[in-house]
Amino acid sequence: MLKTAHSPVPVAPAIPAPATPRSFVLRANERGHDLIRSDGTRSSYVAGHPDSFITRESSFNFHDYQSGRPGFGPIRVFGDETFHGAGCGYNMHPHHNFVICAFVLQGELTHINTAGRGMVDQLRAGDYYVFSAGSGGKHSELSIDQEDMHAIYIWFMPGQLFLPPSYHRAHFDFRTRRDRIAQLVGDADCALPIPNDIRISRLVTDGGKKHVYQPRSSSHGTYVFVIEGALRCGDTVLNRRDSLGISGVDNIEVETTSDASDVLFVEVMMIDEEIIKQWEREHPGH
Amino acid sequence: MASNSIDHASASTALKRLMCMGCGFSYDEALGLPEHGLAAGTRWVDVPDDWVCPDCGTPKSGFEMVVIGYADGGPELAQRA
Repeated sequence: MLKTAHSPVPVAPAIPAPATPRSFVLRANERGHDLIRSDGTRSSYVAGHPDSFITRESSFNFHDYQSGRPGFGPIRVFGDETFHGAGCGYNMHPHHNFVICAFVLQGELTHINTAGRGMVDQLRAGDYYVFSAGSGGKHSELSIDQEDMHAIYIWFMPGQLFLPPSYHRAHFDFRTRRDRIAQLVGDADCALPIPNDIRISRLVTDGGKKHVYQPRSSSHGTYVFVIEGALRCGDTVLNRRDSLGISGVDNIEVETTSDASDVLFVEVMMIDEEIIKQWEREHPGH
Repeated sequence: MASNSIDHASASTALKRLMCMGCGFSYDEALGLPEHGLAAGTRWVDVPDDWVCPDCGTPKSGFEMVVIGYADGGPELAQRA
C-alpha cells in the first residue's frame, strides 16, 4: 500500500501476542509419594483388609503433598496409583465439579458411582473412564482381587460448575491403535466427551519411532507422561514415569528410545487470569 | 490502560468463587452457605480459619479461587449445597 507523508504510525492489530514457550520436566522420583494404609486413622478412607495399602505418586500438589507444583492448566491431580491387597481402594466418598479420569494399567478396578442412575463398572487394562462429578456424586473404587490394581488418575477443573453428573467409559485397544497418537478423551470421533477444553491422547509404540503431537493452539499446554519406555523430546530424555509440561509451542516432536513405549499426552488450555494471580499473591498457601 | 489489564482495586473487591481441592465442593462469596451458617455475601477472609469443607473435611487452606461460570441452575444448587 502506498503511504503518504502524513500516514499515521501503524498500530499493531489487537491480537494476542504469541504464547511464550514454557516447559518443565518432572522426574519420576521428584513426585509426591504417599502410602495410605487401610487400617488406623485412614480406615474410613481406604478400603481393604488390614494389610492393604494404596501407593500414590502425585505429579502435582494433592492432599498431604503440598510442596510441588499446584497443577498445569485445569489439571489439579495426576496420580500414579496402585491398590495393594484384596479389597483395597477408596470407600464411597463425595465429589463435586471435578472431572476425574482413570486409565487402568493393570488388575481390575471395580468402580461404583452415582452419576445418572448410577452403575457398577469393572475396568481392566486398557479401560478408562471420564467421571464428571458436576452438581455432586459419590463413588467408590476397589480392587477386589488379590492382584494389584494400577491406574493413572487425572482430575480436571470443569468448564462450568454444577453440570449434571455424567460417566463415560471406553477401552483403548493397543493392538489396533498402535503406532499413532490416538485421542481417547476430547472432541475426536469416538473419544469420550469431557466438559472442558481438554484432549487426552495415548501413544503405544516401539523404539526409534518419531511422532509429532500438535496441540490445537500455542496457547494450549501439553503434559507428556511416560507410562512405560522412554522418549526424547528435543534435548530432554524422559524415562519411565518422567513427565514434561510444555506450552507456547505449535507442536511437540517425540522420538521413542525404548520398545513398548506407552505415553499419555494431556492437552489443556493454560489458565492465565490476572485476578487469580492477584488472589494467589494475597493468599500465599491459600 | 490496555483493555486486557485489570483494575486491581476491583479485582480485590469482586466477589469470588472458591473450590475445594479435596473433593470439588465450591464456595461462592455472593451466595454464602446459609445452611452451614455462612450468610450470602460472606467473604472468604471472614470464613473462620477452622472451617473445613462440609463434604470432605479439607481445611480452608485447601481451597483455591476459580473463575468458572455456573451451568444452568447452578447458583440455586450451590446455595443449598
